[in-house]
Amino acid sequence: MSATLPRTLEQAYAAVVGELGMASAGWLFVSEVAAHAGDEGVEAFADELGATYPVLDAVARQWLDGRRAPQINAKGALDALDGATHVVIVGLESLHLDGFVAAAPAELGISLLAHRPFPVDWERVVANHAGRVDLLYLDSFQSMSGPKSALLGFAYGVHGDRTHVPPLWARVVGADVRAQFRSLVGWDALGSEMNVYPRWLTEVGVDEFTHFVGATR
Amino acid sequence: MSAALLSAILVTTIALQALLPARRLLIVTLGAGLACLASTLLGTARTSEILADVPWDVLVILVSLGLLSQLVAESRLFGVLAARACAASRGDPRWLAIVFTIGMYVMSSLVNNLTALLLVLPMLLKLFKLLGVSQRYLTWTLGALLVACNLGGAATPIGDFPAVLLLGSGSMTFSGYLVRAAPATAVGLALLLFLVFGLVRPERDVEKSPISSAISVRAVSALYRHVRVDRALLVPSGAALVAMLVAWTALPTSLGVTPEIVCWIGASAALLARPKLAEKLLRRRIDVEAVLVLFALFVMVVAVRRSGVFGEVTRAIEHLPISGTGQLVVFLLSAGVLTGLFSAGPGMAAMLEVADGLARTQPPGAVYVGLALSVCAGSSLFLTAATSGPLAQALTERADLRSPGGEPLRFGFLQFLPVGLMSFAAIQIVSIGYALLAVRLGW
Repeated sequence: MSATLPRTLEQAYAAVVGELGMASAGWLFVSEVAAHAGDEGVEAFADELGATYPVLDAVARQWLDGRRAPQINAKGALDALDGATHVVIVGLESLHLDGFVAAAPAELGISLLAHRPFPVDWERVVANHAGRVDLLYLDSFQSMSGPKSALLGFAYGVHGDRTHVPPLWARVVGADVRAQFRSLVGWDALGSEMNVYPRWLTEVGVDEFTHFVGATR
Repeated sequence: MSAALLSAILVTTIALQALLPARRLLIVTLGAGLACLASTLLGTARTSEILADVPWDVLVILVSLGLLSQLVAESRLFGVLAARACAASRGDPRWLAIVFTIGMYVMSSLVNNLTALLLVLPMLLKLFKLLGVSQRYLTWTLGALLVACNLGGAATPIGDFPAVLLLGSGSMTFSGYLVRAAPATAVGLALLLFLVFGLVRPERDVEKSPISSAISVRAVSALYRHVRVDRALLVPSGAALVAMLVAWTALPTSLGVTPEIVCWIGASAALLARPKLAEKLLRRRIDVEAVLVLFALFVMVVAVRRSGVFGEVTRAIEHLPISGTGQLVVFLLSAGVLTGLFSAGPGMAAMLEVADGLARTQPPGAVYVGLALSVCAGSSLFLTAATSGPLAQALTERADLRSPGGEPLRFGFLQFLPVGLMSFAAIQIVSIGYALLAVRLGW
């Protein structure tokens, strides 16, 4: 339990964070570091990469506080979408998306907005969902708008009445778009506040969503 | 006059396209046009006669096999196999490199090299990022992968252009080529593995970390967690390929069902399994660049052949004051070096004309398979000698790999050179060794 941390962990995390998601990749890395280097290793890992990847830092702190797996409130997300026949997902968290797709009724259409600040093989992302998820792009996602359509975006932690979301959410949810969808659902994929500057993310009010789903039920 | 001018156009065009790969299409199409003009004005042959001599069958095979490769690629087979290869290697840099090198050899023997590389390299580069590799490891592993790609392409008559040309031109039958070339290239692969992973041992300076290994395996598993091979696509493609192999091997020549017809019908049958996807592949994914380059090269080679130059080269080799076997060795060495300088397409297209002459006095199997192996050696000499080299360079640059110390890792002409020189020597030895053995045994 005392393996030295390799010097290339930042490069390794950056290689997969786009496709797995900041929190999902964080849990994968933290659990492996813990398995080989113990809590000391997790602490060192958070100190080394935390400033660059605040979600990873928060996941590491959760691990050190005793949590051993992410909380995935797929039921809560589905409840918030009640009445929608199609959902457009903004952002990517593979563990949460897997849980959501597995729990979603077959008649619910699921699209994923293909836009990330990190490299992503989108063909592979949708191939993981056996035809249940299709891709939409920023210039055409409004084709899915309508009274039975909803937007679902991943958020990272809540502090007071504020939360953090990927900048893409802010770009998508303009005044015109807000009126075109049945509901704008935020889903906390982290479950704790971030302790460092929220790089890669932007702050919004929780009340900007029509529904906000916590990490736990 | 005619022979000199047409040869000058061919050589200049080949040299220019090698020097300016970014302008390759423009250079070769212009060269082909000039060759037709010169040939017509000098009375060597009219353009219609040159066009009639172009081996269209080879182009049909090339396009059909390319489409079949795309179908197999769309089935996600290669991605799933790459993920399994990673799991099998347990994130160990040495085993990872060996497994991927062997896998690339097998894959490129069935689909074209560019498709194989495009599908596997992004995954491998991601793995390199996860593992944190050194410059030396990157150079030798990617180098070995490219050479394995070339060897796989030469292993079967459908693997790469030089072998396709032999099949399409009727120089060799499908099974005749396969039973000779597959074992020879397998020997070449074994030699490559021994030299790179037995002697050079590129993994020696990679910082081994159980954390990196474990994360690599888990991360790749996570990326492919629910990805499954699309059997509805793979099965028809595989069945079509098997049917084509059977037809190439079993149909009697007297029937007149030539390899290109088999390929054409086989690929079309496979495409019928997914009409919508087929239409997309036909409209957008045919490798127009490869087809145009080869067409232009064929036009120039036909013009030069009609001027009688290749016959003179053959006679010059035959008049060398050495034995017939020695002449064959000189020919194979020349083919290897010329391919290294001018790349595989031009090298093979030009040297095949000379090979036809040599095959009248030497066992054809020794000449043609020896030529294919020498072209393979030449393709492995420089990073620019095969189209897969610049592609690997571009993908590696885009991946922005860093060493554990943070220095950027490169894979360019100079980095590849030691791998290329060693591989060229090794495969050329296999080529000459094979040819001498074939002459001795009368294959």
